Amino acid sequence: MFVNHEGGHYLEALKYVGKSITRIDAVEKVLGIAEYASDIELPGMLYAKLLLSPYAHAKIISINYEKALRVPGVVSVAVGDDFPFRVGLYVNDRNILARKKVRWVGEPVAAVVAEDLEAAEEAVELIEVEYEPLPAVLDVREALKPGAPLVHEELGEYAHSPAFNPIAGTNIANRFTLKKGNIVEGFNKSEVVVENEFYMPQVSHVQMETHVCIGHYMADGNIKIWTSAQSPFTVRYILSHSIGVPLHRISVYVPYVGGGFGGKAGINFEPLVVLLSKKAGYRPVKLELTREEHFLAAPLRQGFYAKIKTGVTKDGKIMAEKIFYAFDAGAYADYGVNVARAAGYSCTGPYYVPNIEAESLAVYTNHQWGTAFRGFGHFEFLWAIERQMEIVASKLGIDPVEFRLKNALLPGLTTATGEVLREDAGRVDQCIEAVAKELRWGELTPTNDPKKVRAKGIAALWKAPAMPPNAASSAIIKFNEDGTVLLSVGVTEIGQGTVTSLAQIAAEELGVPIEKIRVVPFRHTDLTPYSWQTVASRNLFMEGRAVIRAARDAKEQILEIASQVLRAPKDDLIIKDEKVWVKGRPEWSLHLKDIVAGYVYPNGNTIGGPIIGRGYFVGTRLSYLDPETGQGYPALKWTFGAQGVEIELDLETGEVKVLKLVSAFDVGKAINPMLVIGQIIGGGIQSLSLGMWEQYVYDDKGRMLNPNLTDYKIARAGDIPEEIIPIIIENPQSDGPYGARGVAELSMLSVPAAIANAIFHATGVNINDLPLTYENIWKALNKKR
Amino acid sequence: MSRRKIRFKINGVEKTVEVEPNKTLLWLIREELKLKGTKKACERGDCGLCTVLLNGEPVKSCLVLAVEVDGSDILTVEGLAKNGELAPIQRAFIEHGATQCGFCTPAFLIVGHWLINRNPNPSREEVVEAINGLLCRCTGYKPIIDAILEAAKYMRRT
Amino acid sequence: MLPKFEYYSPTSLSEALDLLEKYGEDAKIIAGGTDLLVSMRDRILKPKCLIDIKKIPELRRIEYKEGVGLTIGAAVTFKDILEYPNLEKKYRVLWEAVKTIGDMILRNRATLVGNICNASPAADSAPALLILDARARIINKNDGVREVPLERFFIGVKKTILKPTEIVKEVFVPEPPANCYGKYVKVMRVQSEDLAVVGVAGLAYRDRGDLIIRLAYSSVAPTPIRVKEVEEVFKKKNMSLDEKIEEAVKISSEKVSPISDVRGSAEYRLNLVKVATRRLIKELVEVV
Repeated sequence: MFVNHEGGHYLEALKYVGKSITRIDAVEKVLGIAEYASDIELPGMLYAKLLLSPYAHAKIISINYEKALRVPGVVSVAVGDDFPFRVGLYVNDRNILARKKVRWVGEPVAAVVAEDLEAAEEAVELIEVEYEPLPAVLDVREALKPGAPLVHEELGEYAHSPAFNPIAGTNIANRFTLKKGNIVEGFNKSEVVVENEFYMPQVSHVQMETHVCIGHYMADGNIKIWTSAQSPFTVRYILSHSIGVPLHRISVYVPYVGGGFGGKAGINFEPLVVLLSKKAGYRPVKLELTREEHFLAAPLRQGFYAKIKTGVTKDGKIMAEKIFYAFDAGAYADYGVNVARAAGYSCTGPYYVPNIEAESLAVYTNHQWGTAFRGFGHFEFLWAIERQMEIVASKLGIDPVEFRLKNALLPGLTTATGEVLREDAGRVDQCIEAVAKELRWGELTPTNDPKKVRAKGIAALWKAPAMPPNAASSAIIKFNEDGTVLLSVGVTEIGQGTVTSLAQIAAEELGVPIEKIRVVPFRHTDLTPYSWQTVASRNLFMEGRAVIRAARDAKEQILEIASQVLRAPKDDLIIKDEKVWVKGRPEWSLHLKDIVAGYVYPNGNTIGGPIIGRGYFVGTRLSYLDPETGQGYPALKWTFGAQGVEIELDLETGEVKVLKLVSAFDVGKAINPMLVIGQIIGGGIQSLSLGMWEQYVYDDKGRMLNPNLTDYKIARAGDIPEEIIPIIIENPQSDGPYGARGVAELSMLSVPAAIANAIFHATGVNINDLPLTYENIWKALNKKR
Repeated sequence: MSRRKIRFKINGVEKTVEVEPNKTLLWLIREELKLKGTKKACERGDCGLCTVLLNGEPVKSCLVLAVEVDGSDILTVEGLAKNGELAPIQRAFIEHGATQCGFCTPAFLIVGHWLINRNPNPSREEVVEAINGLLCRCTGYKPIIDAILEAAKYMRRT
Repeated sequence: MLPKFEYYSPTSLSEALDLLEKYGEDAKIIAGGTDLLVSMRDRILKPKCLIDIKKIPELRRIEYKEGVGLTIGAAVTFKDILEYPNLEKKYRVLWEAVKTIGDMILRNRATLVGNICNASPAADSAPALLILDARARIINKNDGVREVPLERFFIGVKKTILKPTEIVKEVFVPEPPANCYGKYVKVMRVQSEDLAVVGVAGLAYRDRGDLIIRLAYSSVAPTPIRVKEVEEVFKKKNMSLDEKIEEAVKISSEKVSPISDVRGSAEYRLNLVKVATRRLIKELVEVV
């Protein structure tokens, strides 16, 4: 490849980019010395334990914690009124601890701080709370009905980001609307109209590491936080906003994160531990959730309801779509409002639809609060859209692959927000074709057992980062005296491996061997260059560009010095193999190590100084969306893909086995193929697990019945398909680093729909509600009989 | 609750510790001995991330009482590398991208190490059976299975 | 964390029985601990004292005597059972059931007697033991050993006939009928590892040419149950095999009383009872 890219011009074969080098954090991780928040202990540290609400919706009449305070070792007990602050990413609706009322089963009501965890656990059981139960709203559609109990009576009083509009006197945390073309005309031109409803329950991220944070409010007014968070700068910013402490007084430290998947993207328990620390006499306070607390009290992925009406011509062209999405945001808006917005502006999936009317709501209920989850609304709505596409194709008698290709959103066509897809955008058609080919689409495998059938299913996908237009990334490249390099970036290492790819980019740009580059392994807001958040599959793209710019900035400084020493103009110099050369004159060169801390002439005269390169990146010409029509330019890049499965279904028990899973993504350029494949396989299995088994099961009082890993099932090694085929497609995007686009979230967007589509092909039965548990499948098959 | 004195060997080192009966082996390892490689993630035997070798056999240390290990030999992830040399299982995990967030990695390493030492020629099914008690949310297990099979190959070569 | 308790690890049975006599209901026996410690952590159980029986040599004994049967001591782990020579062949249905319990790592600790004493309706080893006519050997300080057929041992969800001062010393499984074939079918919510949504153990053999079938179930009644009425069906002369199978399916589905819980609805469980029973009998008949 000798392509010239905006993101990284290269005239020679690439040395590091495009290579499957092993992860730079792997050695620490296999030695068991990689540091996670739960491993951190501080001098004088205290331990916090939470008391959780047993009611979905109830007034707090009184709290008595006298007995708890008397337990030996207990330092302090806090209740909601101790902390009169509100916190929220977009809508300032959340209390630090419940005040006046509780809004879900599991809402923290009080916290005990003690010298050791055992004392805290003992004391928390002694707190007496008197509640007055209120009518609860436990279904997103019920919550929208007039007269439904209000989760937030004071919704009109909350401060909120101007991008969102909570509707006072209702349970609507945000309403996103979109209008494209002429919906009436679109349906008039349609010959077949298909309408369906779809649903999916709440699920947990089940990061292997639960939420852990330590807060230290120091007597001098400075605040330190150690936390398992994806976005240290967001933790700092929202905390500052919430409790009125300026940014420079808050330091947030993030070590390795034991899985994020969006659940640690925002701000969670950090304000609580900071305020507990102050109350407990300025000693550090650690909170580590148990798995049960993680299920009950930590944010989850919202439930989802969809109603989609699609109008098509007989020959299979989509003419119009009327879309309604309602996200069960739970008790607090958090990311939920933005999830609903993202689903709203991407609402069609990767298809060209000329006429659209869409509404996407984030709705308060008395469920646990929802937050970001890998895919950010796309896993949810793609379930609906990709099932709908299958049903429409079958109504038309058109092969579903052919139908998808016919309506594929290709460069030059407009998205739902009216954005013309750029000429170097990814190609969903190639992804669909690649998956179909690998699955041997159209060939059927018979089974010997009459009780079992085999079938195949496909679903496509797309996603862009859901981020504000000013979301930024930055990077610092510091040369050490010996010519080695320290790369600092704000993206946290949550397992995705971005920092390894960034090291590759830095090595490629600087002409320094990758072994001589170390990425600072932790994030510390005092030292780390700013990054908006580690979310949205945006960081390889954005940090990648920032690293390229930082490298070029550093090189520019190096060339400035070398030009004087070598007595040659800068544009006659090149940096290669840790040296600066005069082009065509390798004998006229300088070692980098002799320049990067300042060049010393034989007589001691010195020029230049320590080299520090810096770079930043923000999206180009991204815009806010029109509040009525949703039109505008929200997308830094769209990544497209498709996933397909072959299944075996037991018709008598509903047991489904996924035999083969194929996924293809147009990643532009795989900076590190092994990491890309790692994301594709890992995301694929997470998607399969979510689609087949995972759900919050509630009783009629809104109590979760399965808050443990015995009854909240996630995939184990014995659950994965025998064949898992990742396919990388590379149509480079010219403003991406070396042409790359993100893939992390994309990898898990469409497996459930592919499985349900396969079940449909096997049996003619449409299943529109997740999860696809064996029992649910059996029930659906039974209904047909 | 009376404290008990227990003696045991962990990663080759003799230890004598006094513990209360209600403390688990996991607590002993993480909180008393400060070996933080062994992870806590469910404390009820579901996730298996606290797995260590107890007298050569894998156990979920959240379901073993500390007092029970008196006289035992324990191996945790910190004991796998010797003299600065990574164990074959560790090398294979690095090369196969079998670690992502890394939180489950120590447990998979311990069980993988146990398996290939007991059976240097395991089938894919045997690997799956050995690790079925461990959860990973990142990798989709395939790279882990491949890494264990590869590590077994290293073992056969040496 | 676990609630506070005193811990004893007696090295003889009599010492253990003395402790039980002393503490009575405040004591719990711990062997593998895989169920007990979870219940304690969940604060469902708060015993004042735990008596660890793993250091009592006679309780660690597993022994098969040709023509007599298999004795499984209270501290014998599932791993010990799976690795005992020839059990896979001789006690196939039990061996298979044991292999489905938890995962390999848990089976290193969990014990069969613990599985029985925990008396979960979902105990996987129980249906196999029921159709193998297993007996629990119970001992207390004063009365010596009494032997109770497993069918009488379970009396309700998590309830057995065991008194607070008693220990199940061992389970005895008699020599299975000659040339029998057994199988355990376990339907789970996933492919990998789970508690049974429904478990069915079946045993078939020929007694002077007559087909004998035994069936028992887990997770479909307050206790694991053996449906003896089914056994009569196969002794009938004037029915075809298919008719007998359908009759057996009908009887089993009437005798079980599944509930709806987070693991499955009663309706689904009933369907699984029917499907699994039918499939299991057909496979058994094909083999014997």
